Amino acid sequence: MPETVNQTSLLAAKSLHKSYRMGGQPLEVLRGVDIQVEAGEWVAVLGASGSGKSTLLHLLGGLDRPTEGSVSFEGRDVFAMGGKAVDRYRNRKVGFVFQSYHLLPELSALENIAIAAMVGQSVLGWIGARSECRRRAAELLDRLGLAARAKHRPAKLSGGERQRVAIGRALINQPAVLLADEPTGNLDAKTGEQILDILRGLHRDGQSIVMVTHDSKVAAAADRRLTLDGGRTRG
Amino acid sequence: MYKLLLIQKYLRRKLAPMFAALAVTLCTAMVIIVISVMGGFLDMMRGSAKSITGDVTIFASFTGFPHYESLIDDLDALPEVQAATAFIAAPGMIKYGRDQVYVVREVLGIDPVGLDAVTRYSDAFYWTQQHLNPDGDIPAELVPDPEELAMHFNPPAHWTQGNSHIRGIVPGIKVYPWNIPDDSGQYHLHGSQLGRTVTLTMPRITTTGGVLEPAVRDFIIVNEFKSGLHDVDASRSYVPFKLLQEMLNMDAAEEADPETGEPTGRTIPARATGVVIRGAPGVPLDSLNEAVTAARDNLQHQHPDMPPTNVMTWEDIHAPLLNAVQNEKGLITFLFVFISLVAVVMVATTFSMIVFEKTRDIGVLRSIGASRWGVANIFVGYGLVIGIIGAAAGLTLAVGIVYNLNELQDLLDAWFGWRMWNPQTYYFDQIPERVDPLEAGLIALGAVLSSVMGGLIPALLAARLDPVESLRYE
Repeated sequence: MPETVNQTSLLAAKSLHKSYRMGGQPLEVLRGVDIQVEAGEWVAVLGASGSGKSTLLHLLGGLDRPTEGSVSFEGRDVFAMGGKAVDRYRNRKVGFVFQSYHLLPELSALENIAIAAMVGQSVLGWIGARSECRRRAAELLDRLGLAARAKHRPAKLSGGERQRVAIGRALINQPAVLLADEPTGNLDAKTGEQILDILRGLHRDGQSIVMVTHDSKVAAAADRRLTLDGGRTRG
Repeated sequence: MYKLLLIQKYLRRKLAPMFAALAVTLCTAMVIIVISVMGGFLDMMRGSAKSITGDVTIFASFTGFPHYESLIDDLDALPEVQAATAFIAAPGMIKYGRDQVYVVREVLGIDPVGLDAVTRYSDAFYWTQQHLNPDGDIPAELVPDPEELAMHFNPPAHWTQGNSHIRGIVPGIKVYPWNIPDDSGQYHLHGSQLGRTVTLTMPRITTTGGVLEPAVRDFIIVNEFKSGLHDVDASRSYVPFKLLQEMLNMDAAEEADPETGEPTGRTIPARATGVVIRGAPGVPLDSLNEAVTAARDNLQHQHPDMPPTNVMTWEDIHAPLLNAVQNEKGLITFLFVFISLVAVVMVATTFSMIVFEKTRDIGVLRSIGASRWGVANIFVGYGLVIGIIGAAAGLTLAVGIVYNLNELQDLLDAWFGWRMWNPQTYYFDQIPERVDPLEAGLIALGAVLSSVMGGLIPALLAARLDPVESLRYE
């Protein structure tokens, strides 16, 4: 059954279509996806490789534009906003966690977390906000069990540590929704479980999460599960 | 703020930008060095040209013009004029010994004291008392002072061998072609003709252009001069004004009736072929030129029969030479600036590589809210920083090299036996060591802008990257 979209939901997508051109041929990845996420809810989107899970997450996060359909956040159409407003939406309202962590290799763990706060600040703004941001970044590192690794660069961290830094980066601006793309996909079972524990903790504290995964065991941690198949969701 | 952090991190962690900065450094230094040396060479030539020519000169034809004393009085009364003196310029031939005769394009009859007040005549004397008495073991009063001799054209008695009528001549140091300097550009007494008797032969013409018997007279070389302008040093000799005036029949004389040969009772005034003028301090050349021209016009108005004269500034006189060097400087500067585009390409290449290498990072930055222009500004700022570092280092390197070029040349000579500056070619003993702060500043600014330009295309590439594609980039 397709989702019934309530436009007053925290995050909602309606009739999302996304197609690409591959070798001159149109490739329709999403064929009218409807999804809604309420505040404090953890939604898992299950699907096989190539089913369009990451594409859906990118659309929800304003990183990509749908071919058709809309994404609304707190009732406002994300893509009807101007470019700067979408940039701000990605910076303030959502936080991405990627399967491959995607940390910046030149920065330390602390800087990798703080940079998401820096992106939202001008030079003058940063002078005022610097100490508060660094305090928050340090606090997140502590909460994620990485206080001793603050000055280490990603190359010196394990996979699980890198993913925890990535979660810290996603959380630094206290986003309304965490968008996690296979957050345990590159980790062994034990480390993956530790990451899921962190997500559970965040959820308990009221964090809304949209997680895409191919692993039903991982998806079981969520409040609600949707399956993406043939470019459409079913509950 | 994140842009500054990333620029700083990329600079510290990457070798490639350091190579780009090095390219900017070398190009900046190269252009500054070339422009400084060429500019210094041009300045030295201009200085020599100005000092040998005075500021403004009034020229007449070979037959000369009368009333020049009156003109000098008028000029001396002008506030724009500091000093003025007459001269006679005529071609001649100088004979060394029995069989060496050379053409002297300009035998200049001068009043040495008057000319010294207008040009820096005495500054160009090559030989000093020190040359004749290098060890200082002979009492100075027994050794002739060639500088003093040249100021009066009076050779010492033991050089004239009793001929009290013989006067001195001061030829350019290259008039005698076998006077060859050593590798460092220095002339030596054993090659010089100092103290030697030479014979000057000069064609003579009447005021109407009729040809007379040539004037022939012996002189003793009391000094030689080196102005720094090869053309002048190889073709000019100074002799006493009054003497040359007599030799060329240009002194005052009684007029004779052409048919009867009887004196008419009128006097033909003395003539000179030119007057050279020095401007008062701070007077612009154009103003001086206008004032001199007005004085000349006034004299011509008073004496309608006066032959035509021409007023020229020192820049006009030396324009063919100076403009050639100026054009050469411009051409070389253009070529080196063109070569320096390599730095722009280097920066563009380096940054393009960094953009490709950082494609995924760009996607990450976009995912955390960085705008397209924010990402582009990282690379533009990166180019700016590389440019500032490169330009500052290039400027420092260039100043260090230019102000030590002669020492550097001595080192190269000592190590490899190679001298980059041949005084026999360039005619100045030393490589000019001067940097024009404005020129150097503009070049450094150009280097910074070029570096920013080099970063611009990769920056635009980075801005255009699709964030989703970037995140998938392997």
